[in-house]
Amino acid sequence: MKFLTKINRNYFLMLSLLIVMISFAGYFILKTVIFGQTKESLLEKAFLIKKQISETGKIPSLYPLIEVTETVKTSELNPALNEVFIREEGENEQESYTEYSEVISVGTKYYLVKIRQANVESEDLIMAIAIPLLVLMVFTFGFSGFITKKMNQTIWADFESNLSKLENFTFENRAGLQLKNTNIHEFDRLNDVVTRLTKKLNQDYDSLKEFSENASHEIQTPLSIALLNLEEIIQQDLPEVTFKKIVSSINALKRLSRLNENLILITKIENNQFPAGETINFTKLFRNKVEDFEPLIRSVKIEIIWNIENDFYLKINSQLADVIINNLLSNAINHNLDSGFIRFDSSLDKLVLSNPGPPVNFSDDKIFDRFVKGNSKSFGLGLSIVKKICGVNGIVISYSFGEFHSFTLSRKS
Amino acid sequence: MKILIVEDEIELLIAISNYLIKENYTCELADTFTKAHEKVSIFEYDIILLDITLPDGNGIELLKIIRKYNVKAGVIIISAKNSLDDKTGGLDLGADDYMTKPFQLSELNSRIRAILRRRQFGGTEVVTFNEISVFTESKSVKINETKIFFTKKEYDLLLYFIINKNRVLTKEAIAEHLWNDNIELADNFDFIYTHLNNIRRKIKNAGGADYINTLYGMGYKFSER
Repeated sequence: MKFLTKINRNYFLMLSLLIVMISFAGYFILKTVIFGQTKESLLEKAFLIKKQISETGKIPSLYPLIEVTETVKTSELNPALNEVFIREEGENEQESYTEYSEVISVGTKYYLVKIRQANVESEDLIMAIAIPLLVLMVFTFGFSGFITKKMNQTIWADFESNLSKLENFTFENRAGLQLKNTNIHEFDRLNDVVTRLTKKLNQDYDSLKEFSENASHEIQTPLSIALLNLEEIIQQDLPEVTFKKIVSSINALKRLSRLNENLILITKIENNQFPAGETINFTKLFRNKVEDFEPLIRSVKIEIIWNIENDFYLKINSQLADVIINNLLSNAINHNLDSGFIRFDSSLDKLVLSNPGPPVNFSDDKIFDRFVKGNSKSFGLGLSIVKKICGVNGIVISYSFGEFHSFTLSRKS
Repeated sequence: MKILIVEDEIELLIAISNYLIKENYTCELADTFTKAHEKVSIFEYDIILLDITLPDGNGIELLKIIRKYNVKAGVIIISAKNSLDDKTGGLDLGADDYMTKPFQLSELNSRIRAILRRRQFGGTEVVTFNEISVFTESKSVKINETKIFFTKKEYDLLLYFIINKNRVLTKEAIAEHLWNDNIELADNFDFIYTHLNNIRRKIKNAGGADYINTLYGMGYKFSER
């Protein structure tokens, strides 16, 4: 929710609450005032009627407003104010009246005087209060909406421009982060903090990058020394057991070195350290790779099936494209059946690579996790690297296992 | 052939030079930028092995200097950083090849020979081993003066063997030579066996001897019995 929307909403809620409270208070106050007025005017009328009867002997009658009847009893009825409902002739609804009744004595006669005054209907009263308030409310909001919109264009403009600068911040292109001075204390404070934080981030990023590069260098150098020495040792005449032990040590060290390279590759992908890509024909790239590896593929008796409707293109760094292709292809070869096949289904919007093979012994969504491996002697990094590359390049890679293991490459919609 | 090895790690420097001396090269060593700078500005070399990370300077800077004084020298960059920037940067600046640590000495030898061939023999070297002659320009092979057809990979493998003759090569080293960066793909090494059998058969059919010796199923050695 936008800051202004939030403020406006709170403002609206508070004001609504206030208006409801004012309406209630107004309603009761008005009602009391009207009742007081009614009572006063009824007493006044009663006094006039009494005066008229005693002076002229005429008994006034104006139903339902004035009703005077002769009566005998005197003591029982005290003056009283009541609310009564009377249905007038020709009308369906009962009207509410305030009735004042009093027994008066004129000479020897007693009269029961009932004087009534129609009440203001509650609905009318509510409308009289609510409509002006509602109109006021609508105007207030319209006006404040207009004002905030104007303010948004001026006061918030610098903030928005700084925000979009921050949104576009990347470690590759970080020289350009110059936040605009807004002349608003809070925003400038935020700018200071952000500038300080990004400076720190840049430093951390650089030192991390340097560290991983150094780590790679530092690990590969002793590995190189060990490997070169072992390579020299196997040149001598050695008993079989010794020879085999040394060769397996060489292979273990090489695996360690490859693992190191892969982890560094992952870091580099995560850090977005690969320059922007170009549009690459993946179908063609797979074809070339399969051609390169034709002797290998033939030696494991895997058939390659091409089902090309259209060539599939992706925009990506060419080195990373090569990594994707290598890893997917080696995965399809290494987890295939004897005399199995690899099928490529290529169309404009996706490329599917399927191969038969035993089901994996972990859940489908774990297949891209690091160090998750089936029965291969690999590290379980290949597919996680593929996933990572796809993630930072807007490519969707998905896995499913129906009849075959299928990996689908497509563009993020 | 004179080789300058620029590498700050002494043990690595010694291991590489010991090997190259055995392969009949003359070696000079430099473990700092300053020493290397001095040497390349005075002497001429056929091959310079250049480490990028040096304690007192960057190998890439050295490469610029080398290209100024030692135009003839073939340069192989040896780096622990498998970084594309270094690789393309180095090759753009006139390096002939780029190797990532750790590497095999046999592979280093192959690369050195390839550069020497290109730079000094104009690519027309004939590599021979008894009755086998490999013509590097036309990438063809003659056995007892008869031209025999080898596939690209078989040719690569045969040349690699002859250049590294009398040397024990593990299956992994061979796979790495044939497939380079795609080694992860070559998880399964059976195909090497297939290649070797094809080479053996072709040489034998042309009246040649079998020089490929198997070592306990884990390595091979190309030599006279």
